[in-house]
Amino acid sequence: MKNISRYNLIFVTIIALSVILPWMFWLSFEKPISSPYVMYSCVDDCFMIRGYENGTSVYSNEFGKTFTREEFEQKLPLLNFRQLMISKTLPDTIKGVEMDPHLVNSAGSFYRYKPEDKNSPKPGLYPMIESKSGRAKLEMPKDFFRIASRMEFIIADGNKLDEQKSVLFTEALQAKGFKFPAKMIEGLPTTRKSCDEGYFVVDNADQLFQVKMVQGQPYVKWIDIPKGLTFKYISCVDFRNKLYYCYLIGHDNSIFIITQDDYELERLPIEGFNSENQELRISSDLFNYNVIMLGENFTKVVALDDNRRKVAEYNQTWTKRALRPEGKAFSFLFPAEINLTDKYNSFINFYFHPTKGFNWLILHIILLISQFIIIRRRKANPKNHVVDFGIVLITGLFGFLAVNIFPNKFFD
Amino acid sequence: MLKSMIYKEWLKIRWFLIGAAVAGLLVIAYMYMNTQRSITFGGASSVWYNIMFLNRMFYKILKYIPLLIGLGIGVAQYFPETVNKRIKLTFHLPILENKALLMMLGFGTASLLATYLLHFVVFWLLSSSYFGYEITNAALITITPWFLAGLAAYFFVALIVLEPIWMYRIFYSFAAIAFVPLYLNSGMAGAYAPINIQLVLLTLLISVSMLFSAYRFRKGEM
Repeated sequence: MKNISRYNLIFVTIIALSVILPWMFWLSFEKPISSPYVMYSCVDDCFMIRGYENGTSVYSNEFGKTFTREEFEQKLPLLNFRQLMISKTLPDTIKGVEMDPHLVNSAGSFYRYKPEDKNSPKPGLYPMIESKSGRAKLEMPKDFFRIASRMEFIIADGNKLDEQKSVLFTEALQAKGFKFPAKMIEGLPTTRKSCDEGYFVVDNADQLFQVKMVQGQPYVKWIDIPKGLTFKYISCVDFRNKLYYCYLIGHDNSIFIITQDDYELERLPIEGFNSENQELRISSDLFNYNVIMLGENFTKVVALDDNRRKVAEYNQTWTKRALRPEGKAFSFLFPAEINLTDKYNSFINFYFHPTKGFNWLILHIILLISQFIIIRRRKANPKNHVVDFGIVLITGLFGFLAVNIFPNKFFD
Repeated sequence: MLKSMIYKEWLKIRWFLIGAAVAGLLVIAYMYMNTQRSITFGGASSVWYNIMFLNRMFYKILKYIPLLIGLGIGVAQYFPETVNKRIKLTFHLPILENKALLMMLGFGTASLLATYLLHFVVFWLLSSSYFGYEITNAALITITPWFLAGLAAYFFVALIVLEPIWMYRIFYSFAAIAFVPLYLNSGMAGAYAPINIQLVLLTLLISVSMLFSAYRFRKGEM
């Protein structure tokens, strides 16, 4: 029993140290890498890049030509519209289109996806905002809905079920062939938006629906999607141009939009995106869409025209953290690390990251010899400490500290 | 004899245990009084919205309460045993040493679990009366590791207090300081869902840890 208690303690200490020590290491030695900011220029029809060298911004284009900050801003006039107006360097027209502030503003949009948006706890209850209340402002309702074995509205005050409304909406969904329960419910559950378009809901048969409330009545729209296509994430947007309702990410990481009013599913010509470990930023202006995929050590930028056809692509990579000096030093110290949090996931878990290569083996052998010397100095029989030696050899610094915090003197 | 031993353990922790149980209930009562006030002033839907979409944890005040209770009961139960090395008296009883220790540990753990269960159930019932089960489920997932942290702290206190050598007490404290925060990470409500089972298993692993320092004590480590 005493042996079990000791090995249990060693095990939990190794777990704790493999969280704490690498965390302290990165806290002390990690140097930030600023990813370049890349945008497609509608003036030069090429990518413009703002990078960082020695803490200062460097402005260039994809061909390596450098610019001053002011020149750079003029190459991206729609992004720097206000600045160019102030400095009176805004051209009257670009590509024959008059630079009308209202037009420029309404064409502009920005969307950002992070993997943790998808991999996070979902609330399960959502407010169904009235879409046509006749009021200038949207109003937060008094109830919240869930879609489980049926659609239920729960009145927050008193935590009571609104049976009548629940039946009304459930029947409306059933009439459109909805299969309960819902697999995914995504919308914009806020009153801080220009209008309400309800929720995009994936049912248990992977059918896609839009559900909203119009003057107290359910509005359910079945959306035609290709057979076999399933989505792992939907993100609704509220852009001024009202061109589409949402971005959708398929299980094969394809990116889609659903166009406004005609509900057409349109696939964006973006390849190589991985929604599990890449950030996605999509911005648009009068002439182009700029799609940035940002991974751990690369950025891939795709420019689309205003009809969402691909016009150009830019790729840039930089050194991974593991290959930078601090990463190499890490690889000599630790065989692995455990993180409780993950930049791609909002759930807390034991995220185990083994260190690539075997540089750590040198330290492990030194620690093994040290452990052997400690045992010999204690005039103990090394044969009785074989398990400890094994722990030190496999887990290195974590195990060495753990077996010495809880010393094995039972067999001495 | 076991009855007498249990009575001895009860005498050591009774006031702290009762005080902790009452204090925990008062904190939970305060929490819901506060929630009721927010509902009265801001409306229930606003409170629900803030919890679900703005990650306002109405139960955040509870976070360190189980930890403090675990630490307190551990100290109340094991510290008196180290005064003049009274634990030696237990080892001289006509009962297996490990059995006596496990009985002490079992009684302390059961008392702690009873207190936690009381707090957990009261919290659950009140939350269920105010909120939909989605909010309550996320809250229970979030507070579970806080209670496990209290149990882990209790087991570590037993280990540290019964350890005869001061230097090792400090080492064990470092191990405890590294380990217990695993239960107390900040995150969204419900974020601990994938890890709670593993944390229960880790807590079970350290539950018998005091046998290690008690063995060293018995062997006369100085």
